[in-house]
Amino acid sequence: MSTTSTSPPLTTSHESAFRVRLRRMGETSGRVLSNPTTLGGLVIIVVMVGMAVLAPWLVEPNTPNASQMPRDWGAIAVPPGSPGHLLGTTNTGGDVLYGVIWGARTSLRLSLIVVTVTVAIGVAVGSLAGFRGGRLDEILMRIVDVFLSIPELIFALAIAAVLGPSFRNIILALAIVFWVKYARIMRAQVMHVKQNDYVDASRVIGDSSWNIFRKDVLPNSITPVVVQATLDMGNIVLVGATLSFIGLAEAGLAEWGVLVSEGQAGISGGRWWASTFPGLMVFLWALAFNLLGDGIRDVLDPKTETR
Amino acid sequence: MTAPATNLQKTDAPVVASVRDLRVHFKSKAGIVHAVDGVDFDVRDGETLGLVGETGCGKSVTARSFLRLVPMPPGIPVSGSIMFHPRQRCTACDGAGCVACDHTGRVVSTCPACSGTGCSTCEQTGAETLDLLTIPERDLRSIRGNRIAMIFQDPGKALNPALSIRKQVAEVFYAHRSDELLASAGIDPSSHSLPTGLLRRRATQQSRTLENVLLSLPPLRSRRSAITAAADDRVAAALAETQIPNPRAVMDRYPHELSGGMKQRVMIALALACDPDLLIADEPTTALDVTVQARIIELIKELQQRHKTAVVYISHDLSLVRRVADRTAVMYAGRIVEVGDSEQIFHEPEHPYTRGLIDAIPGAHHERGRLAAIEGTVPELIDPDPSCRFAGRCDFAAEVCWTRDPALEPVGDRQVACFIHHPPEHGEAPTFDRTAR
Amino acid sequence: MTAATDQRTVLAVRDLKKHFPIKDGALQRVVGQVRAVDGVSFDLLRGETLGLVGESGCGKTTLGRVLAGLEKPTSGGVYFDLSEQQRTELDQALRAGQGEDLAQLEAAHRVDRLDATNWRRFRRNTQMVFQDSFSSLNPRHLVSDIVGRPLRVYKEASGSALTERVVGLLEQVGLGRQHLYRYPHQFSGGQRQRISIARALALDPELVILDEPTSALDVSVQAQILNLLHELQQNRGFTFLFITHDLSVVRHMADRIAVMYLGRIAESGETTGLFDDPIHPYTEALLRANPDLTGDDEGFRGLEGTVPDPARPPQGCRFHTRCEYATPDCGWEIDDVVLQLEDTPALFDKLVGVERRSPFDADLEFVDASAAAALETALHGDEVPSSMKAAIEQVSVGAQTVSIKFREVNEVLLTPRGNDRLAACVLDALPSRD
Ligand SMILES: Nc1ncnc2c1ncn2[C@@H]1O[C@H](COP(=O)(O)OP(=O)(O)OP(=O)(O)O)[C@@H](O)[C@H]1O
Ligand SMILES: Nc1ncnc2c1ncn2[C@@H]1O[C@H](COP(=O)(O)OP(=O)(O)O)[C@@H](O)[C@H]1O
Ligand code: SF4
Ligand code: SF4
Ligand SMILES: [Mg+2]
Ligand SMILES: [Mg+2]
Ligand SMILES: [Zn+2]
Ligand SMILES: [Zn+2]
Repeated sequence: MSTTSTSPPLTTSHESAFRVRLRRMGETSGRVLSNPTTLGGLVIIVVMVGMAVLAPWLVEPNTPNASQMPRDWGAIAVPPGSPGHLLGTTNTGGDVLYGVIWGARTSLRLSLIVVTVTVAIGVAVGSLAGFRGGRLDEILMRIVDVFLSIPELIFALAIAAVLGPSFRNIILALAIVFWVKYARIMRAQVMHVKQNDYVDASRVIGDSSWNIFRKDVLPNSITPVVVQATLDMGNIVLVGATLSFIGLAEAGLAEWGVLVSEGQAGISGGRWWASTFPGLMVFLWALAFNLLGDGIRDVLDPKTETR
Repeated sequence: MTAPATNLQKTDAPVVASVRDLRVHFKSKAGIVHAVDGVDFDVRDGETLGLVGETGCGKSVTARSFLRLVPMPPGIPVSGSIMFHPRQRCTACDGAGCVACDHTGRVVSTCPACSGTGCSTCEQTGAETLDLLTIPERDLRSIRGNRIAMIFQDPGKALNPALSIRKQVAEVFYAHRSDELLASAGIDPSSHSLPTGLLRRRATQQSRTLENVLLSLPPLRSRRSAITAAADDRVAAALAETQIPNPRAVMDRYPHELSGGMKQRVMIALALACDPDLLIADEPTTALDVTVQARIIELIKELQQRHKTAVVYISHDLSLVRRVADRTAVMYAGRIVEVGDSEQIFHEPEHPYTRGLIDAIPGAHHERGRLAAIEGTVPELIDPDPSCRFAGRCDFAAEVCWTRDPALEPVGDRQVACFIHHPPEHGEAPTFDRTAR
Repeated sequence: MTAATDQRTVLAVRDLKKHFPIKDGALQRVVGQVRAVDGVSFDLLRGETLGLVGESGCGKTTLGRVLAGLEKPTSGGVYFDLSEQQRTELDQALRAGQGEDLAQLEAAHRVDRLDATNWRRFRRNTQMVFQDSFSSLNPRHLVSDIVGRPLRVYKEASGSALTERVVGLLEQVGLGRQHLYRYPHQFSGGQRQRISIARALALDPELVILDEPTSALDVSVQAQILNLLHELQQNRGFTFLFITHDLSVVRHMADRIAVMYLGRIAESGETTGLFDDPIHPYTEALLRANPDLTGDDEGFRGLEGTVPDPARPPQGCRFHTRCEYATPDCGWEIDDVVLQLEDTPALFDKLVGVERRSPFDADLEFVDASAAAALETALHGDEVPSSMKAAIEQVSVGAQTVSIKFREVNEVLLTPRGNDRLAACVLDALPSRD
């Protein structure tokens, strides 16, 4: 190695912007995956999501409504390993395996919808408040403060209770509650990024506000939101399951929280399986996304990202 | 301007610290960074040694090595020694200055192994010698802030924002001058009674909550406040010495209430509180305005004259170092490339790098657009091959410069590391007459 | 620049002010104004380099940002691209106050009132280079995006033509094609500053505002950048506003210099004249504190004190709190007494309140009569500068109050001193120092 290489080695002349960006993305994902715990989290996620996507092929869908657990009244509370019921059944004859696999689908749907909606609202509100500032910022932030003054879970619970017990309302309740967090994160980020000289530099060359937001502010502020969203992909399932567990979802829904709730009566009688398997799934799902989120945070941390 | 006589005296003055073959590397993803890679220099009693060079050339790492403040890991101590010869108060004049101590008020501590007759630990000098890189952490702690003090570039970061100036400065006295504090509070420091023990622990700031309760009870209380008062007096005196107006009022302020220049004065007061033998100043004025910078420089010079402290003054600003330093060491890429009398170095630089740095400063004689810029930047120091580190940017580099390390060798009164001044035995030597480009 | 007869003025700045509100409390009520720029006027002629110097916090950056159109001025005007005649007309119109002529000139030239086409022209022609090269380049953009962005905004080029233009710009600043597809963090500070310069050059602007472009760089790299800037100016005829606190740099680069203190210009003039023979004591203080390679240690001296709070600038001459030549006419005021009091805590603690009739005239109330008497004695003491003593017109000690009245003076304004020089000082020349 030479002592005089002042800058990184010369790139070949037919280098293109596209390739460089691709390489950077590759390097970033490479760094995310080089951490064993992050990789572990990702593997669990892939398995669970695979389960959700392939559910119809893994376990025959219930008719007419696939998201309802089939009841086998002839096999009530049979233990795991029983013929036709690999993981046993609940007190009401619900097939635990069906609940576990189709529950993955319900959970994926829940977290995807809630995270997409809340991130979209949060990023929009936070960006508007942070980028524009002034009165608009004050008004939006007062609204956010109101939301923040009520604990998340209790708030979601209240909304779901008011709207009536159904899984759709749980999704709605969570969406109403969770966007606030993103709005706050995003606003703080935008306010911070906005102070960078490169934003002023773009103003000096005369670029439009929208372009400045799109090219300079947004990409540099979004990282913490991405990390939080990843963590929330896991957390929301936990909260959703809690709400289902206390009976805010339709009975018999193929959902882990519902299943845990239905199975818990049997625990004292030694019938552990009906609660344990779905409980384990909730735990794994939340754990996996938290591992991934932490991994992404470490890699995308601005302090470690450059250099 | 320094008179030649004092210069001579300073070059003859005893050595306070000598750095030999210091190498500190850092582990990084790309490889081993040779941040400091064979540094040799001496600091003499009462002199100011300027250490200059571009950013990243290893000035701060060298400075921090004196007090072992380089974080390890990622730092790797590779080799070298920093021999420190602490001084003590002259007993003949009690610090006032006499013939015996050459009017410095301080004399070299004698070697404890041979009580001054000369032995192998002190290399027959009879002076106490400590290798700062190997002595136990406990011994080092009694040297930090006491015999060797350091001030940093950003005074805001070096001061604790949660503590008042009084507390921060007092801490130094509690840590290193507890005996004096006890004595001025009318307590015999050598006594072994329980109350004295308690008070002593208080004076060294080791008291636990329970002890503090005991100390706040009537029998001990007055003596405890006597200690506090003694410490306060010293703090006020230390602050006053750095020309902080109204020190008693400043004592109760917190760092954020003071301006940058004022904070740096507090740092200097802190550093000089225990009358150290060596003060290491790492770019103490870089964050300040020129007007304030000039005041701080005046102050450091004045205090140094009074305390006869040796100073290592680090800066990347050559014109500033010219103002403060008696001798100057120029650093490049982890090595010293030239060291000698400041006036000489700035007047007639010998090393091509020193020449380049001096020519790059815009002066009245430069036509606009014709500054002599050194092209390129400091090379990355990852696993370097043997060669002159400056070869890639040197106008005079010859074949040999790319294959061998020039050593720091004497040229007149100076030392220079360049083949122009020390032609190699084999191969063609570079000369100033012939440029490579 | 053929004839000196029609020297175009790129920017004419007239009594420009930029104040920032200070907000406090839960309701964020405005409790004061930071007068960052407080009445600045000058002309920036085409092709010249004007140096702007001063201590930190005296408003250099704010002025630069207002001139670059990044901040709206609080009052006063910045006029873009005037002919000699227009400039004369402008000054006449401004003197005459509101009128037809002024309105017309403002619509076409006043930066904060330009119509869309003229704004676009101003925007293209005024570019800026920032001090912090880390923060001035978007870390997620490639060099090709950064330097090509201005060209894209004005739809000057696209596709491979854009790339070629960018390569051309990079070559002008000493970089090359091999640097196109790299991220800013892959460059050294000096190289990043070159990229910033390339971006500023892309639209071939008339004026480039350089805010401390080399302050974060080593001397060796600084020399490279200064040479580059000069070369570019030679080739392309740019006008530079060069903001810096380094007098050696500004002496090397600037044709004319404006020295700023606390939001105002203290002295301005042609570079060599100003350096060889400063008129304003502040200019002299800056020069004496500048460590250069030639001067001797005798002249090297710092300046006591700090820049006062820009929310409450001193009366008369803003520099009087630190000026060693201050006279009784320099604006001594009640605040100066309060400042002296703060240094004597024994007295300051006994101060109950200050009742001001004007900045020059107030009653200071103490807890007891002895403190009031002590203040009166202190006012005659050695701590108080003799010019301040001389400025006191009246002191009367009441029961617990001391009334003090200083000589009232107006603000010290810039006055012409010959040779194109302006200075804001009551003295005609610096007192000789022996
Ligand atoms: N904690 C650390 N970890 C890794 N590398 C380090 C560390 N501290 C210093 N270095 C490296 O050691 C080299 C010398 O650094 P040093 O801080 O001594 O430079 P310097 O001469 O003081 O520069 P400056 O003028 O910028 O203060 C640099 O290459 C730097 O990157
Ligand atoms: N956005 C702002 N809000 C409030 N005060 C400001 C703002 N920008 C600058 N100031 C104040 O204006 C004064 C001048 O600042 P600045 O122009 O940055 O000085 P300089 O560039 O000369 O160091 C300072 O007191 C600074 O604190
Ligand atoms: S001449 Fe050779 S040895 Fe001397 S500085 Fe230049 S490269 Fe180094
Ligand atoms: S007017 Fe001149 S002499 Fe008076 S304070 Fe100001 S600078 Fe000093
Ligand atoms: Mg350093
Ligand atoms: Mg500034
Ligand atoms: Zn003695
Ligand atoms: Zn010995």
